[in-house]
Amino acid sequence: MASKQMLRYLFRRFLFLFVTYVVATTVVFLLPRVIPGNPLSQLLSNLSMVAQANPEAIRAAERALMEEFGLGKPWYVQYVEFISKALRGDLGTSITFYPRKVLDLIVPVLPWTLVLLLPATLVAWILGNTLGAQAAYRRNTWVDKGVLTTSLVVSQIPYYWLGMIFIFLFGVRLKLLPTQGAYSQGVIPSLTFSFFVDVLRHYILPFLSIVVSAMGGWAIGMRLMVIYELGSDYVLFSETLGVSDKRIFKYVFRNSLLPQITGLALSLGSILGGALITEIVFNYPGTGYLLFRALTTLDYPMIQGIFVILIASVYLANFLVDFIYAVIDPRIRIGQEA
Amino acid sequence: MFKVMFKPLLKNRKFLIGFSVFLFFLVLGLFGPIFYRVDPTEMTWNHEKPPSREHPLGTDTYGRDILAQLIHGIRSSLYIGFLSAIISLTIGTFVGTFSAVKRGVVDETLMAITNIVLTTPSILVAILIASYMRVRNVEMVALILGLFQWPWFARAIRAQLMSVMSREYVYLSVMAGYSDLRLIFEDLIPTIATYAFMSFVLFINGGIMGEASLSLIGLGPTQGISLGIMLQWAVLMEAVRRGLWWWFVPPGVSIVAITASLLVISTAMDEVFNPRLREE
Repeated sequence: MASKQMLRYLFRRFLFLFVTYVVATTVVFLLPRVIPGNPLSQLLSNLSMVAQANPEAIRAAERALMEEFGLGKPWYVQYVEFISKALRGDLGTSITFYPRKVLDLIVPVLPWTLVLLLPATLVAWILGNTLGAQAAYRRNTWVDKGVLTTSLVVSQIPYYWLGMIFIFLFGVRLKLLPTQGAYSQGVIPSLTFSFFVDVLRHYILPFLSIVVSAMGGWAIGMRLMVIYELGSDYVLFSETLGVSDKRIFKYVFRNSLLPQITGLALSLGSILGGALITEIVFNYPGTGYLLFRALTTLDYPMIQGIFVILIASVYLANFLVDFIYAVIDPRIRIGQEA
Repeated sequence: MFKVMFKPLLKNRKFLIGFSVFLFFLVLGLFGPIFYRVDPTEMTWNHEKPPSREHPLGTDTYGRDILAQLIHGIRSSLYIGFLSAIISLTIGTFVGTFSAVKRGVVDETLMAITNIVLTTPSILVAILIASYMRVRNVEMVALILGLFQWPWFARAIRAQLMSVMSREYVYLSVMAGYSDLRLIFEDLIPTIATYAFMSFVLFINGGIMGEASLSLIGLGPTQGISLGIMLQWAVLMEAVRRGLWWWFVPPGVSIVAITASLLVISTAMDEVFNPRLREE
């Protein structure tokens, strides 16, 4: 099934994403060293200012920071060390939670983010595309106008603000659902039914805020794609041949879906960004919440570590989408130049 | 020429609605501070009061007037949006046109950079850069946001210009010995003007949204006020869970209204000017 051309395409994409990853980590490396005002030395002097409180721990953290950033060594040694560490998954030591490793802190929060982000993104994508296609198919009816108008407004609502509105309406006013966390306070995570229900109740509001506001954009895009497709030659030709509307719509839907898959790959980053902030609004114990804590305490090794992981996962997801695209698009599957 | 351009727009209901809403917020941001002369930073003893005659949109934890904050916030959010849009549009136009005109190595290099920036999540990079800056003014925030949202525009106009370049009148200009710059400004830029304007509008949205996201996690402008900063304060003070709706609803509504109206304007222009969307 996997043709030579398809493998070549995937290899090219992989190479591109790998180079991009190295460029991105280089930027992560360069930023603290080129931004004026040198935030690291700032952080060091901050640390020594509070050193009276707990001199031993602070000095240890200071040493760790020096070592983490390889300050004092020539820049190219620092750079090679940084890249090789990043590729091996060694992300250094956190300052706030000294002496815990950054990776050990990120690993437990990642599943919460994935559990929220992946289903929400997929559901929004599927619902949005279906709605948009239906609207285009019924162009200029009240269905179309309703979908378009709603989508234009809804697509511009930041996830986190919709989250605030949901918290206020369903949590504070109607008291239907919990307003923060991933499970009730004091509950110990376990594999029981009651814990599952508890998690689910906490999950509904952040999930819905992402789904609802992400859906609009997909609907707008899909509507446009389907309108374009409906005006294309093969549709007119099929109509003159007397092919049923249902079948034509199926073809059109499939063809319009391809650009939407590319669109999904391209907007992964902004979806992730929005979801991270939504986590903060909900005090949801995911990566966004951890990042927020790291940002407020200027825990630079942790900030860098989170970014190296997040950027890598965006590229990985990109590659997955490329793979799906290659499987779905016959032009790549049979090796025709797209 | 302008008559031909604007007449169909002014007949489009969507455009009129979007434009009126946007104009309302623009006027509010530009002239609001002149008519509503309340200092948004002035603290009073009226803590967290719901809307009243004295404070039309209520007050926050420090007794500051929300309406005054909102007007000033709209003003600087719009400013950040415009500024970042100008930056993105300039970079995008430059990269796109030079790729299309120069071809070859220049094209390949510029497109490689474009694709790298396109694949890299811009909001994350913006967060990372902002986290290293201790002082951030409004212009810096606009710059951080504007530096990374241009790639899709550069790619789109490169593709459009490639097809324009194969038209006869461009060949004639090349044969007549036009310099690249003259070619770009006289033959090429005019063909992408409408598209550029529509993209500019979307870039403004990106800037306003980006500012709100940055500010919410405490990485917005370090002084002054913006719609994002209002939301940040509301979140910090737990306004949402304590039910102080007059605090977090107005800035959100303003963000959605401004960006949605701009999106409607751009959609309407697409419907009017894009022959593939015109109905028979």
